[in-house]
Amino acid sequence: MQQELTFKQGCQEGFPIFVGYFPTAMAFGLVCRDLGLRIWEAVLFSLTNFAGSGQFLAANLMGKGAILAEIFISVLLVNLRYSFMGAELSRNLEKGIGGWQRPLLAHGTTDEVFSVAVLHNQPITKHYLAGLELTAYAGWVSGTAAGFLVGMVLPTALQLAVGVTLYAMFSSLLAQEFRQKGSKVLLIAAISAVLNSILIVFFDLGIGWAFVISMLAASSIGAAITEEVQEYV
Amino acid sequence: MTESHPFLVPILLSAAATFLVRALPYYATFLDRLPKFLSKSLRLLPIAALGPLIFPSVILDYNESWYAGLLGIAAASIFAYKRRGMVIPILLSIGVTYLALLV
Repeated sequence: MQQELTFKQGCQEGFPIFVGYFPTAMAFGLVCRDLGLRIWEAVLFSLTNFAGSGQFLAANLMGKGAILAEIFISVLLVNLRYSFMGAELSRNLEKGIGGWQRPLLAHGTTDEVFSVAVLHNQPITKHYLAGLELTAYAGWVSGTAAGFLVGMVLPTALQLAVGVTLYAMFSSLLAQEFRQKGSKVLLIAAISAVLNSILIVFFDLGIGWAFVISMLAASSIGAAITEEVQEYV
Repeated sequence: MTESHPFLVPILLSAAATFLVRALPYYATFLDRLPKFLSKSLRLLPIAALGPLIFPSVILDYNESWYAGLLGIAAASIFAYKRRGMVIPILLSIGVTYLALLV
C-alpha cells in the first residue's frame, strides 16, 4: 500500500511552483503600481483572485476604464479552465472533505497546482493539497508585494517601459504554447487578436466586450479546426 | 468608499468571478458531460484570450512610438520560444522598449 500524501509533501512539491510564481507576481505588482493601486490593494488582489492571467486581464480592464460587467464576464471566461481542472481534481480527492474545506481547497486551484497534484496515483488528501496550494499561494502573494516595492524605487524614465511587462508576459506564454503545441495555437491567437483590433479600432466597442466576442469567436473556430484538445492549457 | 477606493469593487468582482468557476466543479457534475464541440472550445479559451490581451493595446499604449511595445514583445517572444521561463523575456522586453522610447 502506498503512503498517504502528507501536508509536508505538498509543501515540498509546491516549492518549485513558489519559485515560478514569485517573479510573475512581481510583474503583477509592478503593473498594479503602474495603474495607481495602493500596495494593500495589490496584495488584496492577489489574495482574493490568485489567478495569473485572470488578474492581469482584470488589471488591464480596470486601467482602461471597463465597466464592471465587462470585467466580470471576461475574467469568468479566461478562468473557466479552472472548472475543468477542478472537475478532474475533485474526482481524485479523498472522500469526506468537510463543507467549508471544499471552497478553501477550490480557491487554490491553479494550472500549476493542478498539473502537480494529478500526477499522483493514490487519492489526493486534503492535507497534501492544502500544503501544495499554500506554498504556491505564498509565492504569488509575496511576489506581488515585492514587485510593488521594487516599482517604488524604479526611475521614472523606466516606468513607461515597464508597461510592456503585461504584453511581454502574454507573448512569452504564447511563444511557449506555440513551441509545445504547434502552429494552430498561433492561428487561434492571431484570429482573436485581429478581430479584437478591428472591434476596438473601427467599431469603437468597449474593450471588455471586444475581448469577450473575439475570444469566443476564435475558440469556436479553433475547436472546428482542431481534432482533439486534451490539455487544459 | 468606492470613491476613495475605485479599485476595490473591480478587484472583489474579479475575485468573485474566479471563485465561481473554481467552486463550480466541487458542487456540479455536468462539466463531464458537455457536448464535444463545446468542451473543445472551452478548453481553447485561454489560447484565444492571448491574442486580444496583447493586441491592439500593445500598439495603442505607446501613441506615436507605436513600435516600442512591438519591439519589446518581439524580443520577449523570441527568447521565450527558445527557453523556458518568463523572467528573462520580461526583463528583456522592458529593456528593448525603454531603448526604443529613448530613440
